[in-house]
Amino acid sequence: MPTPTVIEARAVRRVFESRKGFLFTDVTRTEALRGVDLTVERGEIFGLLGPNGAGKTTLTKILSTLLIPTSGEAKVLGLDVVRQAAELRPRIGLVLGGERGLYYRVSARENLRYFADLFGVPLDQRAARIDEVLERVGLSAAADRRVEEFSRGMKQKLHLARGILHRPELLFLDEPTIGLDPKSARETRKLIRALIEDGVTIFLTTHYMFEAEELCHRLAVLSKGQIVARDTVAGLRRLVGGDRTIEVEAYGFEDEEIETVRRLPGVSRVVSEEFGPRLRLTLRIATSETTPDDVRAALASHAELTVRERPTQLEDVYLDLVEEEAN
Amino acid sequence: MATALPTGLAPSGLRSTWASVRLSVLQFLADPQWLIPSMIAPVIFGIVSFELVVGSGPYYLVYAILGAGMMSMWGQTLYGSGWATGQDREYGTLEPTIQAPSPYLYVVLGRVLWNVISGLIGGGIVYLVVVAAAGELPTLDNPLLFAGLFVFVMFTLASVGIVLAAFYVYTRYAGFIQNIGEFAFYVGTGCMFPVIFLPWWTNPVSLVFPPTWALDALRYASIPGYQGFGWGFGVDLAGAAGTTAVYLILAHQVFRRVERHVLEVGNLSEY
Repeated sequence: MPTPTVIEARAVRRVFESRKGFLFTDVTRTEALRGVDLTVERGEIFGLLGPNGAGKTTLTKILSTLLIPTSGEAKVLGLDVVRQAAELRPRIGLVLGGERGLYYRVSARENLRYFADLFGVPLDQRAARIDEVLERVGLSAAADRRVEEFSRGMKQKLHLARGILHRPELLFLDEPTIGLDPKSARETRKLIRALIEDGVTIFLTTHYMFEAEELCHRLAVLSKGQIVARDTVAGLRRLVGGDRTIEVEAYGFEDEEIETVRRLPGVSRVVSEEFGPRLRLTLRIATSETTPDDVRAALASHAELTVRERPTQLEDVYLDLVEEEAN
Repeated sequence: MATALPTGLAPSGLRSTWASVRLSVLQFLADPQWLIPSMIAPVIFGIVSFELVVGSGPYYLVYAILGAGMMSMWGQTLYGSGWATGQDREYGTLEPTIQAPSPYLYVVLGRVLWNVISGLIGGGIVYLVVVAAAGELPTLDNPLLFAGLFVFVMFTLASVGIVLAAFYVYTRYAGFIQNIGEFAFYVGTGCMFPVIFLPWWTNPVSLVFPPTWALDALRYASIPGYQGFGWGFGVDLAGAAGTTAVYLILAHQVFRRVERHVLEVGNLSEY
């Protein structure tokens, strides 16, 4: 009976050192991960969100055995990512994506055949499996073309095909749809959902909030090397103070007006930001007590006032959490 | 469950090595720049070498073949593997290859094998060019032994090449190390001319490298009256085999440590 927890990270910390100079080296230390605790359950799509430099790729590489943590412990599929990396590697897939990472002078099929051999795909299944994954990512027609002729999107698909080639139990996807056109991105998301139906657990990092919202069962937000929140999308909405968001725009607000709005019933958070020549107040509201009309009434002195209500999006939650951490 | 593999099993070393040989051949065929060092350069080396030594003694053809053959083979065999690993860094393929269950050493072994084969093709071209230029076959007491030792020299060069490849995994600056040592190695191991012509104090350094022993053995076997180090063919052969074995064991250990080191440092994606 496989264990329900497929990833278990405890106090994972990673420090990078960069050196400048030849004889007299100047060492700079950067703490990319500052004690990450994380669990991922079998069969789920777990999303890791965070701004650039938050440590998403570092964590992905540690969990997929490509980096050794400075301290802390991580187990994947019950195996220690450092001490049992050799046993773990055949069971996981990794898609780092991007323009690089492929042998561009040979065909897509040859790239896959090479990695099928390195991953030990059974010889009697190799050809059929390569055809199958090429078909799955929509590259069958281009299978025998050199990778140097591929577009960015086609390379991304080939990365994905390589990641699933050996039928991993757990697949790490580092920003799998970055650089893809909308149609290809949609097909990739469809493929990710299909993989879940096949029983693959997915650990996904992404910048796209709608993608995380659409795909992920649970999410964690990583900011400055620390997990600042983890829950379902609904749970995260509750965490930042509500499912409802009211946006108010005008040519500037007095501090007292902002304070009045903040004191309205159910308002948990007010964020002000410049929006062209106007100022926008974003109100996160937990209850149904305060309506757009209440907000309008509280700011009645403004003639040119725009008030609109919308559901709180994951992007709002994310920005609130990252901003909170930054402050 | 999605796994088709018996979990926790890596592919066999033989399969990974063969996959690496195959990919090396495909990349070689796909890239016309290789035609110059592997096919065209041996023709030029053969003609020049022949013209340099023509009429200089009964074994001039052997000298011409050895000189031009080594010239066209040594670099490809010794440095090809290291260079290919540097290319893995450049392509960004080092990360997925290291992340694969197969130890990276097998990938390097595959490249080394292909480099030995392509080096030997260069040697073969030199042989044909020199023989065609002379219009006669070289005087060899034991042609089979000569050919066997030629292949053996390639393997001794390759054993150093494997260790060198580890530097390319270790750091993106490995090319710097290679460029410093390139011609010193060429002269110091006797690829160009017998090591005994060098100052005596360089000889102990030369003997650290397996090709020095193997090349001396090759000259013993092919040039009657050759003195070399003076300890005879058998000692040279044993020295070559022994030092090659040491390099292979060293390569195994170095690769294990280097793989661990790069995962600690996190420089696999640097190029």
